[in-house]
Amino acid sequence: MNVEQVTLDRKYHDAVVHWRKHWMPDYDVLLENWDKYFPKDEPFCLCAKMECGTPTTIKVGEHAGEPKRLKPDELTEDEARHLLAIIKAQASTEFGSIQQHAGTLARAQDDEDRFWVMRVMAEELRHGYQMFHLLLSQDWNKASGGVSGREMVEEVLEMQTGSHVLDAFNVEYDSFIDNICFAAFVDRVGKYQLTMQKVCAYKPMADSMPPMLREEAFHLAAGVIPLRRWAKRAAEGDPFVTMRAIQKSVNKWYARALEMFGDERGGASNIKMGFKDMKNGEAQAQYIDEVTRMLRDINSRFLRARFPDYGPEKVDQVLDQLERERGRHQGVDADDLLRLPDRRFFRRKGEPAWTMVGVSGEAFTDVDEYLRHVAQHLPEAYLASRDMKMYGEMLRKVAAGEMTPQDAMMKMPRLKRVGGTCPCSKSVRWVMEDGAATTSA
Amino acid sequence: MPEVQSGIRVRPLDELDIGAIVKIDERITGIYRPDVWERRVGYYLRRDPDSSQVAELDGRVVGFMLGDVREGEFGIEEPSGWIERFGIDPDFRGRDLGRKMFAALTAHFATRGAAYVRTLADPTETGVAGFLGALGFTPARLQALEIRLSEPSK
Repeated sequence: MNVEQVTLDRKYHDAVVHWRKHWMPDYDVLLENWDKYFPKDEPFCLCAKMECGTPTTIKVGEHAGEPKRLKPDELTEDEARHLLAIIKAQASTEFGSIQQHAGTLARAQDDEDRFWVMRVMAEELRHGYQMFHLLLSQDWNKASGGVSGREMVEEVLEMQTGSHVLDAFNVEYDSFIDNICFAAFVDRVGKYQLTMQKVCAYKPMADSMPPMLREEAFHLAAGVIPLRRWAKRAAEGDPFVTMRAIQKSVNKWYARALEMFGDERGGASNIKMGFKDMKNGEAQAQYIDEVTRMLRDINSRFLRARFPDYGPEKVDQVLDQLERERGRHQGVDADDLLRLPDRRFFRRKGEPAWTMVGVSGEAFTDVDEYLRHVAQHLPEAYLASRDMKMYGEMLRKVAAGEMTPQDAMMKMPRLKRVGGTCPCSKSVRWVMEDGAATTSA
Repeated sequence: MPEVQSGIRVRPLDELDIGAIVKIDERITGIYRPDVWERRVGYYLRRDPDSSQVAELDGRVVGFMLGDVREGEFGIEEPSGWIERFGIDPDFRGRDLGRKMFAALTAHFATRGAAYVRTLADPTETGVAGFLGALGFTPARLQALEIRLSEPSK
């Protein structure tokens, strides 16, 4: 395993550091406590990491067997435009997740959970930096329609929750439960995307994936391990941690996570161009299997804590029974356990967009009744959000035939803010070598 | 690269393996200790997720081997692969799973520049000691020493 570390040109590096000061005010606290929470680990490095020794020939698609492309100019215009959109979307997710985590980070009940999320944020920052390296190290003029690398970086750094590329990054967290569920559900989609992109026909993109994936493994653990611990506490009767609160957060994020794969029927062009090795629906199906296993594992932890005398076989047996019959066992209701909502529940993108399907797969015909059902299964604090208001408005229009599902899809997200508390977060100031903020880009 | 053979698959550890590892450990030791394994798996995943390995048989995790590359331990400055914990479900022993996981682990250690693999074992645990001996482990120049500071709490 050989990794080359690359630093951006000073002005871009400083722009990222400047952004970080606004969205990660605890960054220095993280570094000061790094050895306490992550003893023996390598210190954090804000840099791009390029894996050396990766395959040099294209693995999938119509160019399979040919040498991997090293510059955008070696791609067709269509391919370059497609890949540029992927890189920009990836960059948007990295910075977007930091903004989301920042909102509720301080509400963590345990310092360890908080520091784990802070590390996740720092590594997401590095991943965004990695995507900037891809944007800035080559000339994308062919695909960008004349937009410079500097302008593309500025565009991403200007984004906020509400103006990011993917819906999952335009929804604010309501509590620290969201920090954890997001890591377990949404970061897991990130793992799938990065894994698929390991084959990318554009070698700098492929070389970026292994180091990002290694860091992503911890991000998933930073979701799953606290969830396991909370399940135990919930089983023991902790009044501040309940499975129902976790379930509502699961319902909130699962729909957005599924949409991150893209339309279930699409993805063929990614394979044809050699950028990914699975279609959207295929990857999404594997993801659903994986999160199903994850919830079963957490439920086992819950049952074992509730029934300390039960062995693992007995717990499996009870779990099977509760899942199958949706009944009760010794005071535990099937609804006390976590379960995946139907994949069509609360969807606004993809094949089942704007269909009115409930958490258990039940079909609704009345929009008001469906919205009440949705509200009943989402976190209470989320219901009063602008995101939910817009969802309700769009759904009503689609249900009334006033808008097509396709048009409604294009309307989300639509939460662009025009004001903010910090002017620096609205437009990037390029920081010059003397350290003073100067021109606004 | 995961090894797949007759339903056996050796692959890197991930966070969803915790429950299976807890079960294997409980089958071996008779002790249920999820907190221990949440900590240990979290530790290895954040340090080097490609290093530690699990063995699946027909999709079920039946063995695990946790380790990583460290330097500067006990004055050994060169990078060494350290194997800390391993276990195989008693119902699935005798299928060479330990050797396969060891091969995957050591291949990874080599990519990280390790020239030696090190571990600590209790020679009175004949099963473990025999397994390590069969893999080629021999007594090292450094010996583990200990001193008790107080009576263990009851």
